Amino acid sequence: MDFPENNDIRLALEQAEAEHRLATATLPDRLCEDWRFGRPHKHAAAMAELAESADNAGTVTVEGADDALCEPDDDARDSVKLMQSIGSDKFLALQLAHFGKGVVLFLERSYKEPITITYETEGTFLPTTQIVAVAGAKARIIERHICRGEKAAILCTRTIMAAEGAELSVELHEEGSGASRAMNITNITADGAAVRHLTTHSNHAWAREETVAEIMGAKGTDVQLYSANRLGAAQVLDQHTRQRHTSGGSTSNLLYKNVVDDKATAVFAGNIYVSPGAHDTDAYQSNRNMMLSEDATIHSLPGLEILADHVRCSHGSASAPMDEEQLFYLLSRGIPRHTAQLLVAEGFLGDVTSRFSPAEQD
Amino acid sequence: MSLIIKDLCARVKDGADILKGINLEIPKGEVHAIMGPNGSGKSTLSKVLCGHPDYEVTGGSAELDGQDLLSMSVDERSRAGLFLAFQHPVEVPGVTNANFLRAALQARMPEGETVDAVAFYKTLRAKMKQLGMDTKFTARAVNEGFSGGEKKRNDILQMLMLEPSYAILDETDSGLDVDALRIVSEGVNAMRAPFRSFMVITHYKRLLDYIRPDVVHVLYQGRIVRTAGFELVDHIEEKGFDFLKD
Repeated sequence: MDFPENNDIRLALEQAEAEHRLATATLPDRLCEDWRFGRPHKHAAAMAELAESADNAGTVTVEGADDALCEPDDDARDSVKLMQSIGSDKFLALQLAHFGKGVVLFLERSYKEPITITYETEGTFLPTTQIVAVAGAKARIIERHICRGEKAAILCTRTIMAAEGAELSVELHEEGSGASRAMNITNITADGAAVRHLTTHSNHAWAREETVAEIMGAKGTDVQLYSANRLGAAQVLDQHTRQRHTSGGSTSNLLYKNVVDDKATAVFAGNIYVSPGAHDTDAYQSNRNMMLSEDATIHSLPGLEILADHVRCSHGSASAPMDEEQLFYLLSRGIPRHTAQLLVAEGFLGDVTSRFSPAEQD
Repeated sequence: MSLIIKDLCARVKDGADILKGINLEIPKGEVHAIMGPNGSGKSTLSKVLCGHPDYEVTGGSAELDGQDLLSMSVDERSRAGLFLAFQHPVEVPGVTNANFLRAALQARMPEGETVDAVAFYKTLRAKMKQLGMDTKFTARAVNEGFSGGEKKRNDILQMLMLEPSYAILDETDSGLDVDALRIVSEGVNAMRAPFRSFMVITHYKRLLDYIRPDVVHVLYQGRIVRTAGFELVDHIEEKGFDFLKD
């Protein structure tokens, strides 16, 4: 009788576990609070269908990090197993079932030039990104997800871990084909580190973003979450965030901005959680939306869950049409209306994106 | 060639009548001062001429070099040569001064031509130096975080760059310290030319001591009620506006 090699047994067990997880995880439905306003019967079902039948075909390109680059390995798989979603465990299970493609960066030094990661697909692609910054490492990472073609879709899980003294600036730019779908689930763990994270989504028919930041460690731990998006046509962007402060003295800031035109929909649901005893936490959360059309839809649900006594936490949300006085000011200088509107909208988002321009990084 | 305003009446949209028949002619090459008590309609006149959407013209006409100003859109009025230095310049977050001015100049270029970037920055820096502005302001968002005086200087910088044929200065002196007032006034005086005219709205003689007007008008309760030379400024400085009540 032939016995399988140890490695084969391990792989078989992993596969069985993934299949079990996939079989037991339920697809979000309309009763799922974390998919409120997300129309799960339509969008979650469509994304799951694409992911389940995935050819998992796409290209991975990495530049600027030869000494830090690894293949997705068992440790990376274990990280995905431990990831937190915001109502989307089914999609974590789908990721595990297709696990194997993506990028692992193990950063042990300071990188002067940005590291770029590009995932590109014309089909359905389920890559995973894992970024580990050891104590004192510094890097700027620019991740691009590109969907080409009518039925292209990307489902990406991302873990970003930064140890004490590390400084990370991570950007995720999602670029769609107009009819494409994208979903990313990101877990950030900052333990005595500073992490800045930016997302932009452009031209996807539907995109969902779930970002969970675990902010732990002593004073000096700082996580900043930003997003800037311009939506048009009937596009849907469904964004969910968690700022979880699990030890005292840390800071976090969130600023998500959208310009929403035509019949597009933007959903934001964020939560700042401060665990018992996490005193002296300083956290802020702000969602700002500029509406360019009466048919545009905004759902904004910022939230706080404070279980410590001595904290400074606040949140804000504002959705409004373009400021008429700003527009008039540009028009009064002879700038045609269309250009003026474009400049004001770009300026509204530029307030976010300019924080990640190279000049600001220095 | 003049800015000719005849029987101009306007009101806040769905609100009170403010301009009740303004008659005014400002020929090219002249500086006209508009003075008057608070609430007379001075700022309303400037905004109506520029086409501010909060106001509705209910009668009369305004011609700019023979063109019907009131039928033009806001941006067309600017490209036709009209400029307003605002009483309260607006902050435009995220739009840099340089991009803003380039867009304004680009809008004036013939189709197919683009602003020469090198020449643009050279001119911009020279004009900023003329106004005593730090060149770092080129990369800052328009008026965002500027002090009151910096905003006023920035508006005058825009005027110097856009070289309008008719400029309205709406209380440009408010918020300026004495040195800034002198520098800004020198900038305006450097632009005085036979092909350009100014409407200077102010409460105070100190601005008009620098920018000497050819004609002084008093606007009161929505109408021009007095027109005279500089002696009217001295009279108002000494006696106030009480004479209007007689």
